[in-house]
Amino acid sequence: MPLLSISVFLPLLTGLLLMALPNKSARIAHGVSIATTGLTFLVTLAVWARGTLPGGFAQVEEIAWIPAIGAAYRLGIDGLSLPLILLTSLLFFLSAIYAARITDRPAVFVALMLMLETASIGTFAALDALLFYVFFEVSLVGMYFMIVGWGYEERQRAGLMFFIYTLLGSLPLLLAIIGLYLATGTFDMRLWIETPPLTGLAAMLALIAMLFTFAVKIPSFPVHTWLPAAHVQAPTVGSVILAGVMLKFGTYGLVRFALQMTPDAFARAGLVVLAFGVFSALYGAFVALAQSDLKKMIAYTSVNHMGYVVIGVAVAALTLDPDLRAVALNGATLQMVSHGIVTGALFFLVGMLQSRAHDRDMAAFGGLLGQVPRLGWAFVLSAFASLGLPGLAHFPAEFQIFLATLNAQPWAIVAIIAIVVTAGLYLRAIAAVFLGERNEKWAAMPDLDRGEMLTIAPLLILIILIGIAPSWLLGMIDATMRALQF
Amino acid sequence: MARDLSFLFPELLLASTVVLMLVAEMLRAPRLALIFGLIGLGLSTALTLPLLEADTSVFGGTYRVDLLSGWAKLILLPGTALALLMTRAEIAGQDREGSVYALLCLVTLGALMLAGGGDMMLLVLGVVLTGLGSFAMVAWPRDDAATEAAMKYLVFGAVTGSVMIYGLTFWFGGAGSTLFSELGALDGKPLIALAGLVAVLIGLGYKAALVPFQFWAPDAYDGAPVSVAAFLSVITKVAAIIAFAQVLRDLPVATGWPVVVALIAAVTMTFGYLAALVQSNVVRLLAYSSVAQAGYFMMGIVALGTSPLALPSVIVFGAAYVAMNLGAFAVIMIAGRDLDDFRGFGRARPVIGVAMVVFLLSLTGIPPLFGFVGKVLLFGAATEAGYLWLAVIGILNSVLALAVYLRIVVPMYQAGDGDAGRTEVAPPLLVVLGATALVTVLMGLFAGVFPG
Repeated sequence: MPLLSISVFLPLLTGLLLMALPNKSARIAHGVSIATTGLTFLVTLAVWARGTLPGGFAQVEEIAWIPAIGAAYRLGIDGLSLPLILLTSLLFFLSAIYAARITDRPAVFVALMLMLETASIGTFAALDALLFYVFFEVSLVGMYFMIVGWGYEERQRAGLMFFIYTLLGSLPLLLAIIGLYLATGTFDMRLWIETPPLTGLAAMLALIAMLFTFAVKIPSFPVHTWLPAAHVQAPTVGSVILAGVMLKFGTYGLVRFALQMTPDAFARAGLVVLAFGVFSALYGAFVALAQSDLKKMIAYTSVNHMGYVVIGVAVAALTLDPDLRAVALNGATLQMVSHGIVTGALFFLVGMLQSRAHDRDMAAFGGLLGQVPRLGWAFVLSAFASLGLPGLAHFPAEFQIFLATLNAQPWAIVAIIAIVVTAGLYLRAIAAVFLGERNEKWAAMPDLDRGEMLTIAPLLILIILIGIAPSWLLGMIDATMRALQF
Repeated sequence: MARDLSFLFPELLLASTVVLMLVAEMLRAPRLALIFGLIGLGLSTALTLPLLEADTSVFGGTYRVDLLSGWAKLILLPGTALALLMTRAEIAGQDREGSVYALLCLVTLGALMLAGGGDMMLLVLGVVLTGLGSFAMVAWPRDDAATEAAMKYLVFGAVTGSVMIYGLTFWFGGAGSTLFSELGALDGKPLIALAGLVAVLIGLGYKAALVPFQFWAPDAYDGAPVSVAAFLSVITKVAAIIAFAQVLRDLPVATGWPVVVALIAAVTMTFGYLAALVQSNVVRLLAYSSVAQAGYFMMGIVALGTSPLALPSVIVFGAAYVAMNLGAFAVIMIAGRDLDDFRGFGRARPVIGVAMVVFLLSLTGIPPLFGFVGKVLLFGAATEAGYLWLAVIGILNSVLALAVYLRIVVPMYQAGDGDAGRTEVAPPLLVVLGATALVTVLMGLFAGVFPG
């Protein structure tokens, strides 16, 4: 059974079916949505059970598409894409559960969300560059309409900025893909990875184009400015998907395209990339410290956390020691997954808080831990995970990244200052919102209900599981990273 | 002679159809004229299919029956049929209704001449034949705006046409023949080649609305009925682009013509989108957008002779452009000409709203829609031909394009007055919307059927 294709297209097909249904009440729409995303999650688990191959792509599915130009429908997975696919299907499943409270045009919302899931899983599973680009761009369209249709006050402006910014960002990638295509006559990414087709100046130009695209998506300083606006204005589910899944397109592309297809150029430009990563990590942390809007603060910590991923990839490109490389890339990949889970949880929690209080400003709250203990403790746990506390999800990832950095490029370890800053800002946020003087304005605030508990509990369990015993995930990642050719 | 004629069945059938349509109009039976037109166009399309593999020329090399002209027919004839349906939806029951139908088909006949022309005389014939019918159609509403638009269109067309004929005499003198296939003789005579090139750029550039010969387009589109504007923006433009391909693929690259065309392409797409950015009339906005799209087409023309992707890119983008632009104009016929008419349109009419979003995103070049496939091929052709800078400009303009088209999409989903959804949509228009939307969505996935 073509399980990968099923997991990619099942959401889209049911979304279309839903649009064709005559009765599109909220109950039916959300029922379909939860069932579909749940089923998709199960299918991706089955994909996981089938396993990956070390040094190559597993479960490849291939059908001719435009044979005249060497483009085909090609899907496959390895230890880099499979964890991200699992993360994607899980986050969409939880988002579907949480979104069940949306009553404004529910069928359209669900259809958009399912389309986004197809685009997201497709982006990670595509082995054909043209197909990858198709999925990559479709996700933009879906997210644009989600922000514009269901966002907050400034949604029109934020949506427009997001769309134009990221479209401008992704078009250089198209040029790079055309360049690689003209050098080989095919869009097969496996061939491009096996024997990188470009050399010299052409490779450097292609790399610069790709770096620009992925830097916008990651987002890395100085092209991160769309992120706070889009995050703050997006609906909760949109923020979760944007931060949890779509930012990973950038880091995934950084490894899959930039590192694997133009390895020599990347090694030459590695120091520059590393410098951008270090600066992004520091910059994101310090700017997050200055925020009083909770959602904006979490958005900026994404810039910080994704900066660590960039550091990990750049260190891997700069070092020749295969062990160190594997450590750096393992850390970077695990960081992508951890960030998806932790930041997903944080955005869910802030969304739950906002739906109760219609406010996101830290100063407006106080002493909520006694009022809403479940929400409070869930936030505290996620925040501790986000600041890199040992035993929680980010620690094994960041530890490996910094270990490799210290061995290969010791100067870059200055990025570790960012951890201290994040610790400070999260403690400040916890103190302002959940501790201290109780604000009587929120005396009637209800704690998490069953749907919300269902949404948040799996993420909290995973945060602890990855933190204490990451080997079930790292084993799969490591097998691929050790065999990575570049 | 008989062999030659056998290759011209589609054209001959279309010519007889036009005659029959005129007779029907004289009998005051516009519906009959419409039916004749639709049947004739359908049969001509069917007759084209067996000729698709042919690669020959008839009547002493003056008329080409090849891949390019074959696909041009497959694109232009069904496109005209859709335009006929749109016109019917707009002007049904009005005076001289059948004349418009006959003129549409007559202009399409001229468009086929342009697309198959292998000779300078035939090129002139095509330009004149498409021009005459178009002037009359623009002037059809008989009000001030239409008359002014038609006058502008006519004067502009007369001047550019004469300049083209004058310039073509240089090529005739230099090559010793009016056949395009003899243009290779101009190798080493750059001045003569340039004189003729400028002439062709003026004559066909006017038809395709390239900058700086685009002034007539917004006025003509706005003065004419919307369906006629849709027809002009699609059929005559694609025919002119294919005529460019027929003319320039025999001109030696060494004469430097690709540079000139590349410059025009860059200026055209940039100017088109910049001008579209400030329009508040949606017809004028789409007029400038179709100016910009002509610039994209020229990226494929630039690569003629140097990239094997050039011809497929023009054909694929031509098919995509016909579908998505006709669809967008059909939505305008429902919503209205003013940008304010689109406020709340997507909420009042969800299905047609989604169709409009699909057309506009395809015009922008967002995958996996048909327009994206065409643009990828165009970018690939230009890059392979060594015009990376042109591809970069094209890509930057895609961002401008998004800003332009979102100006329509954004108000569609704002809260509106909601009265846009009251009137019934004419059935022919629904057919057009369905067909164009299907092509725009599905052909991106099945682009393998096109030649490459």
